Amino acid sequence: MSLYLLTVAVLLLIAPLLLGVIKALKMWLLFKRPLSLLQGYRDVAKLLHKENVVSEEASLITRVAPFLILSPLLIVLFFLPPAVQGAWYVSFVDAFTLTGLMALSTFFLMLLGLDSASSFGGIGASREAFIAALAEPAMVLTIFAVSMMAGDLGVGQAGVNLASRFPEKHMASYLFAAISFFILLIAENGRIPVDNPETHLELTMVHEAMILDIGGVWLAIVETAAAVKFVIFASLFASLFLPFGYGLAWPLALALFVGKLFGVALAVALVEVNTAKLRLFKVPNLLGIAIVFAFLSLITFYVLGA
Amino acid sequence: MTHFFQFDTLSLLFAGLIVLGSVPNLFYSRGYMSHISRPWHYRIHYAAFILSMLGVVTAGSALSFLLFWELMSLTSWQLILTEAEKEPETTLRAARFYFFMTHFGFVFLLLFFLIVTRGDLEAGFATMQGIAHAFAYPTLLFFLLLLGFFSKAGAVPLHVWLPYAHPAAPSPVSALMSGVMLKVAIYGIFRFFLTVLYPWPLEWGVLVLVIGAMSALIGVLYALSEHDIKALLANHSIENIGIILIGFGMGMIFDALKLPVLSAFAFTAALFHTFNHMSFKSLLFMGAGSVLHETHTKNIEAYGGLIKSMPVTALTFLLASVSISALPPTNGFLSEWMTFQAMLGSSHIDNMSLKLAIPFAIFALALTAGLAVACFVKAFGITFLGLHRSANARHAREVNGMMRAGMMLMAGVVLALMLFAPWFIGRFGAALAALGRRDVTPLIFPDGIWQMHSVAIHGGVVSPLLLTLALLAVTGALWFGMRLLGVRERLHRTWACGYRTSARTQYSATGFAGPIRRFFEWLYRPEEHLEKETLAGHATKFDRSRYAVHVTPLFEKSLYDGAARAANFVSYWVYRLAHFEQTRYAAMIFNLMLLVLFSYRIFAHEFSWATFALESVVMIVSIKVLIIGEKR
Repeated sequence: MSLYLLTVAVLLLIAPLLLGVIKALKMWLLFKRPLSLLQGYRDVAKLLHKENVVSEEASLITRVAPFLILSPLLIVLFFLPPAVQGAWYVSFVDAFTLTGLMALSTFFLMLLGLDSASSFGGIGASREAFIAALAEPAMVLTIFAVSMMAGDLGVGQAGVNLASRFPEKHMASYLFAAISFFILLIAENGRIPVDNPETHLELTMVHEAMILDIGGVWLAIVETAAAVKFVIFASLFASLFLPFGYGLAWPLALALFVGKLFGVALAVALVEVNTAKLRLFKVPNLLGIAIVFAFLSLITFYVLGA
Repeated sequence: MTHFFQFDTLSLLFAGLIVLGSVPNLFYSRGYMSHISRPWHYRIHYAAFILSMLGVVTAGSALSFLLFWELMSLTSWQLILTEAEKEPETTLRAARFYFFMTHFGFVFLLLFFLIVTRGDLEAGFATMQGIAHAFAYPTLLFFLLLLGFFSKAGAVPLHVWLPYAHPAAPSPVSALMSGVMLKVAIYGIFRFFLTVLYPWPLEWGVLVLVIGAMSALIGVLYALSEHDIKALLANHSIENIGIILIGFGMGMIFDALKLPVLSAFAFTAALFHTFNHMSFKSLLFMGAGSVLHETHTKNIEAYGGLIKSMPVTALTFLLASVSISALPPTNGFLSEWMTFQAMLGSSHIDNMSLKLAIPFAIFALALTAGLAVACFVKAFGITFLGLHRSANARHAREVNGMMRAGMMLMAGVVLALMLFAPWFIGRFGAALAALGRRDVTPLIFPDGIWQMHSVAIHGGVVSPLLLTLALLAVTGALWFGMRLLGVRERLHRTWACGYRTSARTQYSATGFAGPIRRFFEWLYRPEEHLEKETLAGHATKFDRSRYAVHVTPLFEKSLYDGAARAANFVSYWVYRLAHFEQTRYAAMIFNLMLLVLFSYRIFAHEFSWATFALESVVMIVSIKVLIIGEKR
């Protein structure tokens, strides 16, 4: 139980760091002087001291939505597969609940965007709704495929199963599922090529547009939520598709797990540096690739058993 | 020994559904009465409507079933016409369409009952089962039932009347029709499939699954393109009926494959979603009705900012939106979760083609879920958030106490279905057990009410109560943390690049659904109208513009209008025939005689291709020359 709580605490603490690492890596790769890795923490600390500036048009939703954006994601953090052998994990939650909780968070994020009567908020919410709707089937099918290989639909149990017996016989379908999941990781977290988290240009904004009209502590909460969402996806990727080093002594295993998270961050940074942002109406093609790979994974598993 | 009424567990279950759906509606109706110009017409038909629905689900014989079914159709038809003088054209058209569609279904139900009772309509369900088993063409019975019940339930392709009939009716009636009446058709499906028609071949289940998946997708896609809030909700009824049918179809498939536990689980999911849809759809229609009551328009583009003046309506509508979008921990999520789990049970099927086909249904349901979230962000966000989009929205006030009571009671039903899900699932299990299925409740709740398990091996688990508690606790902790920080709040203008925000620059419902409409353009084929008033002859400079987009549903355009065109075409030729001069009549008689003689030779005497070809040529030439005549 203490290991479980420690893992959750570590994941929560490194959440701002991971996004900072991606940003710093990108700047370094583009021959810019990278920003400090602690910038994420500084931003949060700064925002916590500020007053909340709220739009005149804002209703109750603006005052409630930030909590409902963050709290489902915080709960998901407690439901992730264990990083260390022997650690306690939540066995009564399956992958559908996780995606449902993340969708709940997105739902209130979109309402937040619409609440301030700004056309930017509307743009962001409309685009987010479009992307999230098309990402949903890919997500469900990928979950289905992975659960076949892991032999269990429960997330915690699936992670443990994969770590204890690696699905060597099903490498093809495993790989397809991993590709699909990585695309979803990029799409759901609003990274390039789906959304550019650094720009504030109305042509390209998705996530940033929705949160343009909040500030102070609420902005800190929503930014934390974005960081936590990335940690959730990265650690799901790490425990479902990179399930090695689980049986080491716990400090080593935990360190290795955190290392894997940074590995995922590195992969995302490399993708971001090497691709241009897609036009909004090309995004379905990318999500279509994820859907096709998820189907392929299922079909290879069923028909070839590979 | 048959009775006019019968009260078995399934009947009582659905009677319970009708009572749960009607009691909050009674309060709401009471508050809505001031809006209705013919109160006694309304009261009489309203009471008769609810009683006849109760009559259908407790009917014990074919006669009483048909009697109450028809009474239900007629009273609801009259209720649609309650406010006919407000928008006479659309209301009359909607009512006529509904009347036709419901009787179209009734004809097939009547045929079904005439066959399975051998004309003795006082026969009970047990007698019908015996006759149906001995009947040589069970597939005919299946299709009769399908047409009869699906035209009432609103499954594709018999769904077209819903987006017309539901908006035309007064709001409490829309809530009753969409929330409760469609469920009566679901009752019929459960009753007659599980008892009278049982057992069924695999193909029937596959057909029901395909119809369910198509209804779900088509319902949500047309809901997204809708500006009329009640038509939007009506399209969502099609979607949810689709989800119920997906569950039911999976149950039929598993049953045909001799997987009784999974089958009972899928049926339970379908029953649970039936109840859930009753609760949140009634609540949504009541909310829409309150908004309509205050703003006097159904156009979603004329709302906006209503959460400030109508908080009770807005918050209950939000609860129902979260629930219908299948977001945890609401009841809508639980039943959709069960449907998903039932479909994931398809990995236990041995038939490879079926095993590969069911993921496509999973895909359809997942896409439906994703689009439903988008649609309800639109419905709630555009209606209740932002600035007032019209003067009507600016003058809106919270509705009267009775209407608020109705909405809050229905919100209570939604919450009860969420918090007491184990108890409700126990009732569904009992109802299925009474029909000779397995009661899977102990398998769903093996270790008490805290965890809900899928019955598949290594299936999923969810714990609705723990999720609710965790969400409340974490949100509460965050809120308390912010209180401790003692943050001050300052109001400021919305950032709009230095301009002032106005109702005209914020996003509209059309704009919100824009990306999705553009992506599904091949399905929608929208008619777009863009008018610009250009300034001083400059093509690119304008100060006023109007954009309108209209989507005609595909099924209406192809299937229904196509059928109408075909009927026109045939009747044109019949007209031409009927207005010939007398010589041509003689020619027709001559041709008919030829036809009879030739047919007799072919069918009764002997057949050879050579004479058949010769005779065909003679027939065609004589018809062409003698009847149709030469080309002018």
